[in-house]
Amino acid sequence: MSFSVTYPVLETERLVLRGPQASDYPAFGGFYDTDRSRFVGGPMQPRNAWRHFATEIGHWAMRGFGMWTVTLKDTGAPVGLVGCWYPIDWPERELGWILYPEAEGKGIGHEAATAARAHAFGPLGWETAVSYIEPENVRSIALADRLGARRDDTAERLAIAPDCLVYRHTKGAI
Amino acid sequence: MGHRDIPVLETQRLVLRGPEPGDYPNFKATFASYRSRFMGGPLNPYEAWMLYAAEIGHWEIRGFGMWMIHLRETDETLGMAGGWFPPKWPEREIAWFIWPERTGHGYALEATHRARQYFYDVAGWETAVSYLDPKNLDSIRLAERLGATRDKVATSVDGSDVVYRHPSPAVLRDGQLKDGIDMEIRSYHDPLFKPKGYAID
Repeated sequence: MSFSVTYPVLETERLVLRGPQASDYPAFGGFYDTDRSRFVGGPMQPRNAWRHFATEIGHWAMRGFGMWTVTLKDTGAPVGLVGCWYPIDWPERELGWILYPEAEGKGIGHEAATAARAHAFGPLGWETAVSYIEPENVRSIALADRLGARRDDTAERLAIAPDCLVYRHTKGAI
Repeated sequence: MGHRDIPVLETQRLVLRGPEPGDYPNFKATFASYRSRFMGGPLNPYEAWMLYAAEIGHWEIRGFGMWMIHLRETDETLGMAGGWFPPKWPEREIAWFIWPERTGHGYALEATHRARQYFYDVAGWETAVSYLDPKNLDSIRLAERLGATRDKVATSVDGSDVVYRHPSPAVLRDGQLKDGIDMEIRSYHDPLFKPKGYAID
């Protein structure tokens, strides 16, 4: 075994968050093929989307945590990725979310991010986390607000997205 | 659930293991350098990290990927060799790269020959190609030493690369080609038989 990671499985009322796996790629690639992905690094050519998906998996091996595939408990269908993201050059650990159109408007992002954040502040022992959000991404900003995150204009921005807003999640304040 | 068991391959001088998080610094150093220009580099640290994570993820998704090449004696890493097959790749590719400061010892030949043997004998591949930059003379020369030949009718990745097709499993199983590769690899183990010419890998 060259690398081994245990993906914790998080369950909520309607969702199961589990480690990303190969069969999740078609939904991921389909999303990154559309303009809906413009706030999360897309759209991407299929080759780049696939590599990015491979990176999502490798992130778990590199960091010991990562982004879960969010699936509907009823059907098992993947509806996005939510979780903990910390590639090199990221100023701080991020609570991130990538939600496919079918997840919008149902509180799925909120439900998944709440569970992921509880894992970050619980088992992972984080004291704080940020979410980096493009200023035009009003849906994501609304989600950060509903999660109780607060804009932190003093926080360092991403080098690859210097205009992004930083929303801070503080353990204990939530 | 976890990650795949990545087979460990051994040769006389080398041990090939799956990429591990701790191997990242050497990978980054190579991809930060101009030397990586034929493999998509140079990359900034963020891009290199994302690519390295993708090397790991490739194993999980495809069930094969690029091994990290270690020197048996010291366990130091020397580069990577193995298989690569992202979507839109016309065929499964055999690929390799050696850290710039470790070239000239035939490591890529020895590692890639071993990896190819695994793909043919264990993974059941019937054929394989390598997509090479026509300006990457070191790699073209290595492909030829591995017995690969230019395949002018095969589809390339994006038109800017040339396709080298590896000899079939049957051709490699025994015969002159296999003997020749084995002999060249042995010649690196024993400098008495150092080949003429320049081996750059």
